[in-house]
Amino acid sequence: MAAAVPELTSAELVAAINKLLQQGVFDLYNQGGSLLYRLKNQNSKQAIKGADNEEKVVYNLIEEAGNKGIWIRDIRIRSNLANTQLTKVLKSLEGKKVIKAVKCVNASKKKVYMLFNLEPDRSVSGGAWYQDQDFESEFVDILNRQCLRFLQQRADKIKNNPRGPIVGRTQSYATAAEVQKYITDLGISKVKLEVEDVITILNTLVYDGKAESNVYPDGNRVYRAIESLLPPPGLVQVPCGVCPLIHKCNSTGLITPQDCKYMDEWLEQ
Amino acid sequence: MSRQLGRVVSQILNRYFGEIVEKVGNDLFMYGCKPMGMIIKSTGLPRTQVIESLRTLLKFDLATFEAKDVIVDYKLQPENILLLIRYPRYLLQMKTKYGSEAEMLVEELLQQASCTATVLIVSVMNKYKDDKEKNLNIVKLKDTFISLATAGYIQQAPVAEINNEIPVLVPVATIVPDLDVRELINAMNSNLNNVSDNIYWKVNYDRFHLDFRDEVMIKAVTRRIDDNAGELLKLMLEQMYLSSSSWASDSSPVPLTDLKDGCQRIGENMKNHVEQYLRVIEESTGFIRRTGDAGGGQYSVRIQHALIQLVEAVCDHTVTERLGGKAARIFRLIRSKKYLEEDDIQKNAMLPNKECKELTYKLLEEHFISVQPMRKTASAGGMAKAIYLYHVKLHDVAHVVRDMCYRSLHNVMSVSRHRRVLNARLLEKKRRVRTIVHGMRLRGEPQQNIDDVLDTLTPPEVTSAAEAERRLSTLAASELHLDRALFILTSYFTYQR
Repeated sequence: MAAAVPELTSAELVAAINKLLQQGVFDLYNQGGSLLYRLKNQNSKQAIKGADNEEKVVYNLIEEAGNKGIWIRDIRIRSNLANTQLTKVLKSLEGKKVIKAVKCVNASKKKVYMLFNLEPDRSVSGGAWYQDQDFESEFVDILNRQCLRFLQQRADKIKNNPRGPIVGRTQSYATAAEVQKYITDLGISKVKLEVEDVITILNTLVYDGKAESNVYPDGNRVYRAIESLLPPPGLVQVPCGVCPLIHKCNSTGLITPQDCKYMDEWLEQ
Repeated sequence: MSRQLGRVVSQILNRYFGEIVEKVGNDLFMYGCKPMGMIIKSTGLPRTQVIESLRTLLKFDLATFEAKDVIVDYKLQPENILLLIRYPRYLLQMKTKYGSEAEMLVEELLQQASCTATVLIVSVMNKYKDDKEKNLNIVKLKDTFISLATAGYIQQAPVAEINNEIPVLVPVATIVPDLDVRELINAMNSNLNNVSDNIYWKVNYDRFHLDFRDEVMIKAVTRRIDDNAGELLKLMLEQMYLSSSSWASDSSPVPLTDLKDGCQRIGENMKNHVEQYLRVIEESTGFIRRTGDAGGGQYSVRIQHALIQLVEAVCDHTVTERLGGKAARIFRLIRSKKYLEEDDIQKNAMLPNKECKELTYKLLEEHFISVQPMRKTASAGGMAKAIYLYHVKLHDVAHVVRDMCYRSLHNVMSVSRHRRVLNARLLEKKRRVRTIVHGMRLRGEPQQNIDDVLDTLTPPEVTSAAEAERRLSTLAASELHLDRALFILTSYFTYQR
């Protein structure tokens, strides 16, 4: 600092810096023993106007956390404020619409604070799949089905392709970007879906056993709808295979195959 | 050797051999191996009946005996008892592959358990002598018999070797016989006891099972890729029989050039794209593997790997049907990632937290997945939380599914037995009327009389008999389906030993 402003003596410099720090124009950082200064941007200075010292400290901590947010306990530890006082400060800041509390998706009781104008990070909000911290399973299901439909439209290309099975397979593959375009064109999603979002959906299809994935030479993941290796085996074609009471069923006792209602219904068909 | 297996075995013995054999079979199943005196004591049956039952069991290979000094221990063979319900499938296989003559021969041989070639052919001949439709001829039967022996569907029965009173069965190598048609015709006209033929034959189940195994694999590839790929795999399996033992876990490698020759006959599309098809089969199913570059590329069939894939498919279907598609997703996810924490399951499966946990625990409860706790050492402090890793032990899951198959098979069989008893009178009456009418038709009696006999069955009786028969046939069909699933699981276990 002294080198940047050579015309001031160090005493004058210290006085000036202290005054500016008090006004809250500067941020003071400690990096490896030497002190660093940074000019605060104008809005944040505006927002904090007319706040007392505690509020400023808390505000700074929250601002530092960025869009990941900061947990109330961390604020308390780092600001050294008493619990009741801190709650009051946070309330007043919230009231001024300077900061907001966001519920964290992976820990439902945990609340994090961040600046009012920030969009929460994906790790906090959960990305496109969360609406007010609730997982939207219907939305995921619909997307899952639509993606599968898209892949299935192409899947038949491999069968008896006159140009050989490799070409056929390539034709039946779809990249995540293609699927994303299809989904966007369908207009079923209000939120904008990124390619990564679509990849997570496509991966669920792979785990469903309805698709297989492969990697293109250029590093892109590609997906293809597949059939299960076997038709449903005999076990699931009889009522016992799907019976919730199978482990309680016995030759004697209350549940026996002779008196089984499921069996009767199945045979009535 | 589970309890469920015991139940289903007892049910099968009851159906085919009656209550006494069932009792003896149960006793043997429960105690492993046992001498005769003990069986008599624990079952409380008269000695002659026990001897008779044991004789039946031994005859059909459903039990074995072993000599210990002067005592003979008898042991049940539950695997062979399960094969009894597979008989229709063997017959169907014979009919599609070698025609109805082969079917009749195998059927007769299965019923006789073991007999000489002459007796077999002559008894089949005598049985269908009057049947004009079949149009049997002894030369054709003899040829079929020889081709079945050549293909290994029937084999020579083990020969008893008698030393110190208790015989020992010694397996013998099968030599394809040279049967004389003239002698066969002589035997047909004279008494069978005079025939000097003393080579006994029996059905080689193993050969049939190879066929079934191949069929399952080929069908799977056809489903996944297309008919050409299925044909190609069939060709590779044929090549495999030439060069490696048929139940090997991996076949010895086949050079591409050999395959190309065989591919000529499959079709135009196949001829040009053999390598591509091989690659697609390898990548998509893993049934085959490229093992080297000599001779334009060497390929081998990975039977064991293929069966693992098939068993996985069976387990997947079972989980899907029992607990729903979401649970199947979790099941497959854990399987593909090997070891997974609860949080990661939820993240990857894209399911709401609560539902995901519920399904995971359900899977755990039904033993489809297992959990491996990773406790931190005590030194890490009292706060140390254990990590629970979920994973799939395919071997265990296959056991669970197999047990469920046994249970279902037992249930289906007992329901069908129950229904048979309920409708016994009706079905018996219908059968009697049918025989009488058949006899009258043969004798050429007037239509009026036949109608009178037919009218003894009232319309409600006819409908309820038809209904009962329909239900019984549904049950019989599902027995066969269950057996197919069991077949895949059992073949998987043979490779795991």
